Amino acid sequence: MKKKSNSILGMAFFGPALVLMTVFLFIPMILTLIYSFTDYFALNPKLTHFVGLENFSTIFKDDLFTTAFGNTVKFVLIIVPLQTLGALGLALLINKVTVCKKYFKVAFFIPVVMSLAVVSNLWMQIYSPEGILNTILSHFGIDAQPFIYGANQALPSIALMSVWQGVGYQMIIFLGGLQAINPALYEAAEMDHASGWSKFKNITLPELKPLCVFVFITVTIGAFRMIVQPMVMTGGGPSHSTYTIVYDIYETGTVNWEIGLASAMAIVFTVFVVILTMIQTFLTKDKEEKHENKKAKNR
Amino acid sequence: MKTKKQKIANGILVAVMLVLSLFFLFPVIWMIANSFKPDAAITADMNSVSAFIPPAPGKGFFDNYKEILFNTRFLRFMANTLFYAAIMIVAGVIVNGLAGYALAKIKFPFRERWLAIIMMLMIIPTETIITINFMFVSKMGLLNTVFGYVLPMIVNPFNIFLFRQVFVSLPDDVWEAAQLDHCNPVKYFFTMVLPMSKTVVATVSVFTFLNVWNDYLWPSLVFTSSDLLTAQIGLNSITSNDNTTMGQTLAVITLITIPVIIIYALFSKQIVEGVVSTGSKEG
Amino acid sequence: MSFIEMKNICKKYAGADKNSVTDFSLSVEEGEFIAFVGPSGCGKSTTLRMIAGFEEITSGDFYIDGKRMNAVLPRDRGISMVFQNYALYPHMTVEKNISYGLKNMKVPAAEIKKKVDWAIDILGLSEYRYRKPKNLSGGQRQRVALGRAIVKDQKLFLMDEPLSNLDAKLRVSMRSEISKLHRQLGSTTIYVTHDQVEAMTMADRIVIMKDGVIQQVGKPMDLYEHPANKFVAGFIGSPQMNFYEVKVAGNTMTFSDGSKMQLPESVVTSLNGRQGTLVLGIRGEDIKLDPQNLDLYKDNIMSATVDSVEVMGNENNLYFNFGGTASVARVSKYEISKPGDTIDFAFVPSRMHFFDTQTEESLF
Repeated sequence: MKKKSNSILGMAFFGPALVLMTVFLFIPMILTLIYSFTDYFALNPKLTHFVGLENFSTIFKDDLFTTAFGNTVKFVLIIVPLQTLGALGLALLINKVTVCKKYFKVAFFIPVVMSLAVVSNLWMQIYSPEGILNTILSHFGIDAQPFIYGANQALPSIALMSVWQGVGYQMIIFLGGLQAINPALYEAAEMDHASGWSKFKNITLPELKPLCVFVFITVTIGAFRMIVQPMVMTGGGPSHSTYTIVYDIYETGTVNWEIGLASAMAIVFTVFVVILTMIQTFLTKDKEEKHENKKAKNR
Repeated sequence: MKTKKQKIANGILVAVMLVLSLFFLFPVIWMIANSFKPDAAITADMNSVSAFIPPAPGKGFFDNYKEILFNTRFLRFMANTLFYAAIMIVAGVIVNGLAGYALAKIKFPFRERWLAIIMMLMIIPTETIITINFMFVSKMGLLNTVFGYVLPMIVNPFNIFLFRQVFVSLPDDVWEAAQLDHCNPVKYFFTMVLPMSKTVVATVSVFTFLNVWNDYLWPSLVFTSSDLLTAQIGLNSITSNDNTTMGQTLAVITLITIPVIIIYALFSKQIVEGVVSTGSKEG
Repeated sequence: MSFIEMKNICKKYAGADKNSVTDFSLSVEEGEFIAFVGPSGCGKSTTLRMIAGFEEITSGDFYIDGKRMNAVLPRDRGISMVFQNYALYPHMTVEKNISYGLKNMKVPAAEIKKKVDWAIDILGLSEYRYRKPKNLSGGQRQRVALGRAIVKDQKLFLMDEPLSNLDAKLRVSMRSEISKLHRQLGSTTIYVTHDQVEAMTMADRIVIMKDGVIQQVGKPMDLYEHPANKFVAGFIGSPQMNFYEVKVAGNTMTFSDGSKMQLPESVVTSLNGRQGTLVLGIRGEDIKLDPQNLDLYKDNIMSATVDSVEVMGNENNLYFNFGGTASVARVSKYEISKPGDTIDFAFVPSRMHFFDTQTEESLF
């Protein structure tokens, strides 16, 4: 009796989410997979054929996709180390500081709550040839830089802006991790006459390790998903130097309507992200097991 | 207690942090300060410290803002976005909350499996299915409708998971006591579970608001009619207009940021908690 | 049929290889105060939760007032319950907590007010009426939980370790308060506790459980005086009853350290011919040190060295080693000794309990 009523109740509670999930997540995901093996063209769906793995070989031969892939990797390579280490550094400094703690937290977090579109628009002004940044640089005797208008500088410029905007988020995560460290550990180390550096190396870093991996992976995935900033600031240019994978998926799908091709790109991209996440799960497994044990004890 | 050496080290640390934070905030300060100036003044001030100082309030102080608020449809766009956010918050808390509660407390078939699926969905980058969803919504004839924008966004695996984590630790005996007090499950959810979990409800609401307010890609696809645009999309249509001055651009992006800053000021605790919880979700 | 009738109730959790509760049968009369007592994991809470309807009854029959309740929803069983952690609604004031059930039961507002006023008054909560649970002390929360239970006029009260979260002093005063409330309201009450003192002081009858099985049901003094087995004998009473493995041959009882004691004829008769290895149980207060008793039992005087003394004031516990076992005697303030002292003592023969070494059942 009870079991039956529980399944009815469970489905009643879970049902609304399940229906929406099915329509807007599961079915699209399955369709993406199916379309990736076809030449589905949204403007003329009747002409759809099964094409096997052709889309996948096409995209890897496609210059634009490989360029987008390369750009995305460049974004990742610039953003990930700067943002991860920057966030860790800021968190450590703020944790150390005794005055104006709140101000610092807010100052570094404000860009996070601003929208991508706002930040992009703002930095378009800042990066403009006669803009404030070039003006400041000229005081140091540096010539005007093209920034987002130069094929060589556009990508790093957007990447740096992106770090500026995002670093506060991970900083807060690290601060949470730092505060969760048992102060008794430091007190014990104090008793053992540990130096500041040794405390950092032997307590702070090991305790933060799982969080570091988490932040590293989420920043990586975030960087892989880059689209709005180049879309607003450069339209992917100049000469596709800031065109990214997701941008390519978006354009192929919603502008050119080549759903089959876009789906194949989406599958490749998703596999990439899932692999990264699996690596993270693998690297943080120790911590989870410890946690499970703790939970079991509490019961 | 503190030695002189420590005091000096502290002073240096604070000084370094202050410089860092100013360096960090300079775009924001510049944005606000110059949003009150005509373009001529912006260019003229560029070369001095006054680039970071707002002009003295006087005639024309709010000209850029007046232009944006009264001569563009920006106010309408902001109102639209608030409306969408309100719908999304209510629908999101109910749908994701109910699902989270089911996963936390109701022993229905395949519960553990559903939970695993939800956790997997958290990984999937939604950008990849945006194309298909766009097709769906347009085939359903929901382009340029509130439903078309809201429906696909209501379910949020991360929010379901967040709710579930909080609800799991609600004491079972309160539900038992409520049963003896003739309370049914639905009533219990709305009158007990949600009020008892104010923090997570606030966290989810705040993040939903920020998501809707800051969202770019999805509304840019769903809305083409200028009556329905969200602030972020409207922003683009304003800044890409050649007649819009630099000062007006700065005014409009300042305007669009004000609600977010207010929300952050009011709910910084929930926001920080939500951010930290993403870090600890693995544990 | 009694007011509450439980017949051969069993509980087996899905996936468990053993029953949590086995063959639980009990009749409760209207107005009785019954305590379920036993160590943790003995099945007492599970049984209570089956009565409440929060756990399914695997097999057996359960009746309240002649009506079979196995498949009835908790709220329709006519019960109210006080939970171990109070289970108050944290976002509601004291008043709202108490009135919530009545409101859901669609009781008219005027009547709700009357009942809530009465409960708040009787429990001394007037000052805290508009406070929320987090601003109350443990004892006050406990009272709110009681208030929530009593306003509903239910036929049966269930209490699940209601005092276990209170400090010792408060526990004693709440104990008498609950007893008083029970006398005032006269409602049938089932009270679960792991604390034998609570059970002894409050209950009309006690149900002692171990490993999901009832060990003995009876009035507090019956359990104390006539424990059905070694477990009950050891569980009830503090300090614990002393147990010795002894060999009985004729009238002579030999302890494992070789000490010998003569059993009077009455005891031998009660043993009904049982000889050989038995377990002897005797309570601390039945080990006598005073001159009068020593004189009375002068043929059976034993001696030992005191290891430690627990001074309580009115009475004291002397710990010593005798018969190969750590033993305790409860003596008056006149017989106090110091560690290291040698004491002479005697067992009161009529107060001895004997148990089978294998089954641990009482032999008389």
